Amino acid sequence: MWASPMVIRVEWALRLKGVEYEYVDEDLANKSADLLRYNPVTKKVPVLVHDGKPIAESTIIVEYIDEAWNGGYPIMAADPYERAQARFWARYAEDKVRALYAIFSTTSEAQRKAAHEAQQCLKTLETALEGKKFFGGDAVGYVDIIVGWYAHWLPVVEEVCGVSVVTDEELPLLKAWFGRLLAVDVLKAALPDRDRLLAANKARREQVLSA
Amino acid sequence: MEKTPENVSQQAAAAEAPLKLLGSWASSYTHRVQLALRLKGLEFEYAEEDLGNKSDELLRLNPVYKKVPVLVHGGRSLPESVVILQYLDDAWPHIRPLLPSDPFDRALARFWCHFADDKLGPAVGAVFASTGSEQEAAVRQVHENLALIEAELREGAFKGRRFFGGDEVGILDVVLGCGSYWLAVFEEVMDGVRLVDADAFPLFHAWLRGFEALDEARDTIPPVDRLLGYARGVRHMLLGLAGAGDGAAAPTAAAEATAPVPAPAATDIAVDI
Repeated sequence: MWASPMVIRVEWALRLKGVEYEYVDEDLANKSADLLRYNPVTKKVPVLVHDGKPIAESTIIVEYIDEAWNGGYPIMAADPYERAQARFWARYAEDKVRALYAIFSTTSEAQRKAAHEAQQCLKTLETALEGKKFFGGDAVGYVDIIVGWYAHWLPVVEEVCGVSVVTDEELPLLKAWFGRLLAVDVLKAALPDRDRLLAANKARREQVLSA
Repeated sequence: MEKTPENVSQQAAAAEAPLKLLGSWASSYTHRVQLALRLKGLEFEYAEEDLGNKSDELLRLNPVYKKVPVLVHGGRSLPESVVILQYLDDAWPHIRPLLPSDPFDRALARFWCHFADDKLGPAVGAVFASTGSEQEAAVRQVHENLALIEAELREGAFKGRRFFGGDEVGILDVVLGCGSYWLAVFEEVMDGVRLVDADAFPLFHAWLRGFEALDEARDTIPPVDRLLGYARGVRHMLLGLAGAGDGAAAPTAAAEATAPVPAPAATDIAVDI
């Protein structure tokens, strides 16, 4: 699905490894027989099919890609403790993603609270960036792939909703990381068009406001 | 980090560093780690946490979630049970691996561990925290989830296996096993609720019996009467019922229930899967 951050994670992992892939866009309102066959449990995208075998759950697919193509770009660190840290932060990000969605689906006071809560979660995540260029260290790693979508999506949400979340004042490290991440050619190439994303989100936001 | 001779021996030295586990006796997440450590034959110090009065150590070691279990290895702390289990495999790769070696099989194991914590666990928690039609809906959800696992045992990814890990228990056995004992306990505490029917889920049932018969599982899972007492206490607290439950279990249950915790969310209760 063109606007899914979870799908982008998988594309980024494949592209970093230099793996060629066929991309099949799903209409989530009208899921294909293939999707339902490949992921009967959650029926969600993304699903990666490799040698006829389906893998679901983007955080799991990314680890799979790293292990299946283990000679290529190292997505996970080799050190056990660093790997544990990476898995922890991916889990944290997934756990708290509702805090980000809440900004989009609320207004007025509720939205102010949602923005503040999102900021608190991001501040916690930001601690994992201290002293590093990327969450992965000098280069893009697992956590960067898992949360990198913030760099492209959050500014769109901020613009559509008229809120500020990731500011130089409140989240300087994260803001700086946004810039570095979006400058990585391999990642930039896979992002959905910003204008298209903006238009789609504006439309959805209007639905929220008129509900 | 490349595997140079220097850091291979660093890793070997690190593997020798002492292990300490902060946990809670009724937490299935804690049991997962205890079981995994026992399966790997790793010695560890255990520190019981009073979840109603968390230690400074716990708050310092897990500032993000403030929860158990937390494993401390060589002075570094690791929270989140499934993260810890994978860490044990990464740090002790040659001792009784919990994850299979093939990347696809690893992805499958991780998928179902995620399912256990994201879908099944909360559904079971919801059953326990509700009554009436809300509970009926939650029970249906549990059945749907168990049916998916049963299908994998019957004709899917785990067809014909003694354990999810194959002939030996693996990470999914540990994750599902440490928590599935609550199913029978909850059935006992809540009259008329059937969660894991041997007729409806014969393969899951057989797997669970096999898992619970393992020495390491018996050493890890608390005795049923303690679990019952705890569950009764939590159920009373969740439903805001005053007074004693059933017979002798009640005073212990009341003590354990009143000692800690203001109204826990379904996912906060140690009675997780």
